[in-house]
Amino acid sequence: MNDEQLNQLFQAARGARPETSRAEYGFETRLLAALREIRKQPTPWATLAWRLMPGFAAIVVVTGAWSYNVQSQMGAEASLGAGDEAAFAGLLGGE
Amino acid sequence: MQTPVSTACCNELPIASRPINNCGAMSAQIDEPTDQRLIESTLGGDDEAFAMLVARHKRKVFGIAARFARNDAELQDICQEIFVKAYQKLKSFRGEAPFEHWVSRIAVRSCYDFLRATRHDRENVPLDGIELGTQPSGNAEHARELLQWAMARLKDDERLVITLLEFEERSVRETAALTGWSESNVKVRAFRARQALKKILETSHER
Repeated sequence: MNDEQLNQLFQAARGARPETSRAEYGFETRLLAALREIRKQPTPWATLAWRLMPGFAAIVVVTGAWSYNVQSQMGAEASLGAGDEAAFAGLLGGE
Repeated sequence: MQTPVSTACCNELPIASRPINNCGAMSAQIDEPTDQRLIESTLGGDDEAFAMLVARHKRKVFGIAARFARNDAELQDICQEIFVKAYQKLKSFRGEAPFEHWVSRIAVRSCYDFLRATRHDRENVPLDGIELGTQPSGNAEHARELLQWAMARLKDDERLVITLLEFEERSVRETAALTGWSESNVKVRAFRARQALKKILETSHER
């Protein structure tokens, strides 16, 4: 089969529009009933978890920042000051 | 005797219940609410406005879905899923493109999901009663049935691209916008699909 034959087949098939009027009849009524049913159903856990995701992410960021801040403060307190360092060096040198 | 309807009372009615002659105005023009207005009313909780929106666009959606469904029940299921998705995502509609384009994109993606979900069922469709002549002299229904049978053997993306380009007569750009694929990707898939389709039709013709 060549391209021309395939195009002719497509051309012929395009003439047959699918008949949908039977399926379309009363569709809005059925759809609204389905939407009402969906709204009645409780929110699934997975959806709820996704909705709460920004809140969880914010908590993680705040906790991380607080933890980093506390650690850096503790590090500053634990390290020797400039004066302490000189005195310690003198002590080790036997002065 | 008819009671005159005041403008104030009209504005309090749900959009679908308002008189179409602009609340008794003398204008002969029919005041059909725009899609944007129906969307706003739907988001405000007016289900009837959504029903009007559906009634306005269902023909287009049914036309797309009918290319993939095998019977009325499947067609209704696909269309219901499309409009339920549209309803759920309505908040994200920004009005940059017409509502019809937006809902068509949802329709195409839902049909693609449907193809992937029913792939195994489709491959077993028999060729009963379908003659394998490929001449244009054959009637349109016969050509459609033959192509439908052959296309059931294509990969899902190939079937989608052929349906949009050849049956729906969409341009490459439109197909790219509907599927979310790049234009070059659409062209490559279309070329492969045509090659595969020719091979399937040749093989079946030899049998």
